[in-house]
Parts: sequence; structure tokens; C-alpha cells
Amino acid sequence: MASLRDIRKRIRSVKNTRQITKAMKMVSAAKLRKAQDAIIAARPYAQMLDQIIADLAARSADEEMAHPLLVARPVRRAEVVVLTSDRGLAGGFNSNVIRRASRFLYEHRALEKVQFSTVGRKGHDYFRQRGQTIRKDFGGLYQRLSYLSAKGVAEELIASFLNGEVDAVYVVYNEFISAISQRVVLTQMLPLQAFGPASAEPVAAPTGALATPGAKAGPASTLVDFKYEPSRQEVLDRLVPQAVSIKLYRALLESVASEHGARMSAMENATSNATDMISSLSLTYNRTRQAVITKELMEIVSGAEALK
Amino acid sequence: MAKLTVEIVTPEKRILSVQADEAIVPGGLGLFGVRPGHTPFLSLVEPGALTLIDGGRRESFFVAGGFVEVGNDKVLVLADGAEPVSGIDVEDARRRMMEAEQRLKELSPEDARYLVEQATVRREAARMTAASGR
Repeated sequence: MASLRDIRKRIRSVKNTRQITKAMKMVSAAKLRKAQDAIIAARPYAQMLDQIIADLAARSADEEMAHPLLVARPVRRAEVVVLTSDRGLAGGFNSNVIRRASRFLYEHRALEKVQFSTVGRKGHDYFRQRGQTIRKDFGGLYQRLSYLSAKGVAEELIASFLNGEVDAVYVVYNEFISAISQRVVLTQMLPLQAFGPASAEPVAAPTGALATPGAKAGPASTLVDFKYEPSRQEVLDRLVPQAVSIKLYRALLESVASEHGARMSAMENATSNATDMISSLSLTYNRTRQAVITKELMEIVSGAEALK
Repeated sequence: MAKLTVEIVTPEKRILSVQADEAIVPGGLGLFGVRPGHTPFLSLVEPGALTLIDGGRRESFFVAGGFVEVGNDKVLVLADGAEPVSGIDVEDARRRMMEAEQRLKELSPEDARYLVEQATVRREAARMTAASGR
């Protein structure tokens, strides 16, 4: 049986752990709030960009929406962008993404090549250890996550799509549903799908608990007499990559919010497990102590008895 | 007189939403002014200074490129980034430009990052120019 001293030590160490998990939970809660705000702040832009794209498509119903990034070609080489976190202790956050990416790899083993780009250390470490081709690791993107840095990444992906290095680009990330729930999604980023009037959904769709009736920017004008400067095609040439960058930026924001949400609930569980453990340990401790006292009493009594 | 509603929105946040008499925007074909009643159109925005004039008061913002939609006396600027000209940190901009130029030297024009770095140089140069005009 464990001695009293052992149990006391054990209780102290579990209490320390609980202190740490509690602090981590609080930190994650604060970061989660910030990340959620960032998602909300990104919404007006995405909606307005959508609006412009929809307007453009509506006005040019007879003309073609021609852009190289919209053209699908037979996929021989694919690239998967894996969004994980730099740190662990976030429940299934990273392993879910990694599992989904591995499944993709398995499903597409017939392809000539599947390569990875990673954001976040966890995914990078995993795929490097397994000898997968990692085209590029965008480590440190989270420390300076801004739209411009996301755009830089998107432009690199676009460049490798355009020069034929890859035929399709996918992103795997955790979609933020609520503080306690995330869902892993794998979406195709390039070639861009459903661009035009029907595209309102993929970019603008607000998810889950964050859904607020979006303040829509009214259609800017009627369909007549709309001018483009310098030209319609040049505007389109800039709009399409922009839509891609925004898609990636939003995926990054979702992933960050999910990470903090996942860590928060993981730490919450850890804290309550520690509390349970402490109470059961305390019970054992008290019982043991009582048993010791009883034993000593018995010894005294029987000693006194023997002297009679 | 009718007023323009000017909105500047970036992916990170809504920078401003105000009323003004006139807006001068750095468009794809050079600066252009917008006053109430302007014909609807859609233009590219190049990195540069966007000036708002309201009752003789001028206020300038740096915008880092994007789009502008004009129509119904509304000027909607979708910018990659924007900040008031008075808030520009010139030293910071210069440092970022130097760093990008440094990286640019080591890249070949075929490299995927080449255009990204080139855009950074151009953007930061425009930011410094905008700051010098304040």
C-alpha cells in the first residue's frame, strides 16, 4: 500500500498539473475570442468581393468568364496544403487534419505525385518523418498572420499551378463551428470552382455559431452602363487571384480559431480530470491515515491489555 | 448637395465608412476623382494615397492596392491593406522594402516568390511616397 507520504506527493503534483491546465485553458479562451473577432472582421470584405464578382458575372452573362485559374485540367500532380498548429495539447486538432490528409494521399495514390505544403509545425514534422515530399513549409505564418502574408502564400500556389508544376491544389484544415466543435474539411482551392453568380455560397457562407445575418452591400448599380477600368478582363485578372487569397486567408483564420477552441476544451477536460483525481486521491489519503491511527490505537490498547 | 459614402474595407477589418464631398482614388489608369452622381464603374486600385475632401477638409489614406466600385453615390474600396497616412511608420516601411529588395536579389524571375517580393517593394515604396505627401 502506498504510504501517506507518497499519496501526499501525488496530490501535490496533480494539483500543479491542474494549475497549468487551468491557466492554458484561460489563455486559449482569450486567444479564441481574438480569433473569432478576426473571422468576423474578415466577413464584410469577403461579402463585398463576392458581390463584385456576382455583379461582374451577372453583367457579362453573354461574355465568357475566362481565366486560367478557372480551367480544370486532368490531375496528375496535386498539392495539399495542410494547416496544423505549431503546438500540441489541443486534443484531436492536429491528428484529425493529418489523418484526413493521409487519407487523401491514400485515395490518390494512383496520381503521379502528391506533394505537401505545410503551415504549422505539427503537420510538417509528421509528413517529413514519413518521407513525403514537402514542397514548402510556411512555418511562422501564424506569428505574423495577416492578409498580406496569406496572399503571399496564395500567390506562390497560384504560380506553381500556372506553370504546370501542379494540376490542382487542395487545403485541409479545421473548420470552426463553435468553441467546442471543429470539423475537418478538405477543399479544392485551385482550379477555383463555382466562380460567378453561384459562388456566393462558398466564400460568404458564415459558419455555425458565428452566423449573423450579414449586412449585405446592396448591388452597386443597375446592369446598364457599367464601365471597367482599365478593362473588364484586367479587372477579372485581378479578381480571380484575390478570391483565391481570400479563401486561403479565411481557412487560416478558421484554423487558428479552431486550434484555440480545441485546446480550450482539451484543457477543460484535463482540468476536470485532475479535479476528479485529486478527490479520489484525497479519499485514499484520508482512509489510509485513519487506518494508521486505528492500527496504532489497537497496538496501544493491546499493549496495555498485555500488561494486566 | 448630395454626399458620397466612402467605405474602405480590408480583409482584416473595415477601416472607415464616412461621408465626403469628393474622393480622389489611385486607380489602375492613374488618379481619378469621384463626386456625387459619378457614373457607375469598377476599377483597379494601385498602391497609393486616397484622398477624401469633405467641406474643404482633406484626409488621406494609404491603400495597398485592390478594387474600387463606384455607383449610387457610393465609393466602395476593397483594399489589401489601408491606413491613415498620418499613421504610416516610414522607417518600418523602408525596412520592409529593403528586406524585400534583398530577397529579390537572390531570386530568379521564374521563382514563385519573385512576384510576391516585387509587389512588396512596390507597395512599400508607394507607402513611403504617400507618407512624404502628408
